[in-house]
Amino acid sequence: MSAFQRGQLERIRLHVLPTNRFKTFAISLFAGLPLQEETVTPVALIPFVLRRGTASTPETINFREKLDDMYGAGFGFDVYKRGDSQIIQFKMDVINDAFVSSEHSLLASSIGFLGDVVTNPLIENGGFRAKYVEAEKETLRKRLEAIVNDKIRYAAERCIEEMCADDPYRLHPLGQRSDIAAITPQSLRETYDQWLNDAALDLYVVGDTTLEEVTKLVRGAFQLKSGSPSAYKHPVTQHDVTEVKNVVDRLEVSQGKLNMGLRTGVGYNDALYPAALLYNGILGGYPHSKLFMNVREKESLAYYAASRLDGHKGICTIQSGIEFANYEKAVAIIKEQLESMKQGQLSDLEINQTKAMISNHLREMQDSAYEMLSYDFNSVLTGKERTAGELLKQVQDVTAEDIVAVAKRVQLDTIYFLRDRKEA
Amino acid sequence: METLRYPHVQETLYREVLSNGLEIVVLPKEGFQKTYATFSTKYGSVDNHFSVSGQEPAKVPDGIAHFLEHKMFEEPEGDIFSVFAAQGASANAFTTFDRTVYLFSATEQINENLTTLINFVQNPYFTDANVDKEKGIIEQEINMYRDNADWRVYFGLIDALYHTHPVHIDIAGTVESIKQIDKETLYRCYETFYHPSNMMLFVVGGVNAEEVFQLVRANQDAKTFQPLGEIKRYFDQEPSSVKIPRKVSKLQVSLPKCMLGFKEKNVGLAGDALLKREIVTKLMLEALIGPSSPLYQSLYEQELISDSFGHEYNSSTDYAFSVIGGDTPKPDTLIEAIKSAVSEAVGSGIEQTSFERAKRKKIGGYLRMLNSPESIAGEYTRYRFRDSDMFDVIKFYEQCTLDEVNARLREHFDFGQLAVSIVEQGTE
Repeated sequence: MSAFQRGQLERIRLHVLPTNRFKTFAISLFAGLPLQEETVTPVALIPFVLRRGTASTPETINFREKLDDMYGAGFGFDVYKRGDSQIIQFKMDVINDAFVSSEHSLLASSIGFLGDVVTNPLIENGGFRAKYVEAEKETLRKRLEAIVNDKIRYAAERCIEEMCADDPYRLHPLGQRSDIAAITPQSLRETYDQWLNDAALDLYVVGDTTLEEVTKLVRGAFQLKSGSPSAYKHPVTQHDVTEVKNVVDRLEVSQGKLNMGLRTGVGYNDALYPAALLYNGILGGYPHSKLFMNVREKESLAYYAASRLDGHKGICTIQSGIEFANYEKAVAIIKEQLESMKQGQLSDLEINQTKAMISNHLREMQDSAYEMLSYDFNSVLTGKERTAGELLKQVQDVTAEDIVAVAKRVQLDTIYFLRDRKEA
Repeated sequence: METLRYPHVQETLYREVLSNGLEIVVLPKEGFQKTYATFSTKYGSVDNHFSVSGQEPAKVPDGIAHFLEHKMFEEPEGDIFSVFAAQGASANAFTTFDRTVYLFSATEQINENLTTLINFVQNPYFTDANVDKEKGIIEQEINMYRDNADWRVYFGLIDALYHTHPVHIDIAGTVESIKQIDKETLYRCYETFYHPSNMMLFVVGGVNAEEVFQLVRANQDAKTFQPLGEIKRYFDQEPSSVKIPRKVSKLQVSLPKCMLGFKEKNVGLAGDALLKREIVTKLMLEALIGPSSPLYQSLYEQELISDSFGHEYNSSTDYAFSVIGGDTPKPDTLIEAIKSAVSEAVGSGIEQTSFERAKRKKIGGYLRMLNSPESIAGEYTRYRFRDSDMFDVIKFYEQCTLDEVNARLREHFDFGQLAVSIVEQGTE
């Protein structure tokens, strides 16, 4: 498996993977800060405003045209939380010049574009352009309000919110609606300056290039203050559960959404992390897993019944869509599966199937530029160096005892149910 | 084995049709860890009325193609997911209007996984008990989609556009229609549409083409298939008008969702003619209403649209329509704004620079798609089932002229062919 070349330019760490396997260059800039109630909302708004225009291309329409002229370069951003950090990931992908007749290097144009967006914003009267700030405040508000539209995601978010009620992790990465109104073009500029000063910045490029070329392009494209890179804070993954929380929400839904939150107490740095991957895989990661087999195939209670591991925060979540009347039955069956794992009821078949599936995923990542760079970013985020190849080996070495050791640490924290408005 | 070279995108394809009619296509991707394989039948939710030469035509319950897809995973020995998992493959399937696709992706044991894929799809096992059990699961799948506002507005639009063509029926059917499904009907559909001559195997990734062909040839030679007559599909005459000009559904949503659809009057195109119309229309929509168009920017500034706003064009021989829309606080204002912008564009035509920009964007998007084995397999099969070649797409984009785009603009946007679908806050 190929390796990233590392460099540094002032406050930005550079990570470049030279490869000619793709028809594109994939570029990502990660910018992370601690997740905090006071800053989460204005920080989330920053990329929305930055993507409206820059000092050199102030009008949004010209800004979008530039991208189309670069053979429809992809440009976008995500805001999410990992561990105890709020991360903004800017993404670009652009065609390798070898496939098109372009006058200028598309890699240079793209890095130039990204540098412009992030470090050369449009400033008027000491703040961002007021019209853009107002419009993007509205966009952000709509995005937060729209969470309820997708009932599966809504239930998942609500479960985490209840489970982490006394932890910043309860916060949505896009922030809180109530904090939007107070943001002004000037206050947002202050947030932006602070953000650019404090955030941990990591720039990744995967494609037919070198660290040397990327370093040169970044130097020309980013207006950087001098300084050294920031590090990420280690997240809190330990949390004792004294009592299981039961939460019921009511909305107009045709189907009940049952979500359960578990504390694994195992973080990405933990020696048991590979075993936690297996725990989640056997419980509900795949169609051969206990949840799928028991909730769906044996009892026909659900179409989906699965679990997901958040390794950075040490949380495992279960989600299923069921008839309202089947709530107790489904909860009982899921609890039985958790208990059976504690008791070590693990067949060699399910362990081997799960190892094969996880290994397959780790190998498949090598075919996607974005997956490779996202995986590599885990080591920046956690300080734990572990290549995909090493993790692959560690997964193979996990024993049934290791999985039971994880199962014994797992504590059920919250049972959340989204149901209809009719009283039972 | 036929070798097809596409030097402009640096890809080489290998193709062969076996004596039983099965078409195999292999696209080796050097340096890729993964192999992705799809085994597809030209059979989807719209094929609900059919016959095979000599037989009485059969009308089958809505949702049966999707039901069949679910049931294929069960074998006398148990669930096939378990076999794939033991071989390190992640497997899945999906049903569209006109295809059912079974797939896996894996990095090891490729021969074993390919054999499993072919064998399970060629080995139906339906019993009264296992058919009955599936109804509860699919009922929950249908209810899951009912709660999804994006799905409701999209399928609401197709329902508003079409009177009789089964494209307007939900792919999964309804809770009532799936209750009528039994094992005999499943076998009848299976025997018609899962004959090798109606299917295609596509393999892409780190494989050797000749090895794949040898394996599949040997596998198929060991099985006997009776020759299948010609499959006839029956569709009631679809009026060219839309069924319901305005369809409103109610659901708990933070903002209304609104989609406009223009239904093509001229149907019956196939092969390259169909592909060409699709490409010209997509270019036209991108230039007119894509994110760098003045129309998009103006709608965004008026806060009539958000990032969810988009467009698509869905076309096949029997039906074709465009879809434009997204979340909006004011559906009627948005509809009027789009109608007036479209009228204006029909008069003035699209500008040369917008056209060139849209073309570059589309070519770039197409090349990016070629990074993804999943997209290649999906798109190649989709085009092949319509007698066209995915690798011609770039050629059609390059050849497309502004005159063609403007002619398409005038032809497509006929307000008599417009239906809108809205999902708004409320309880039904």
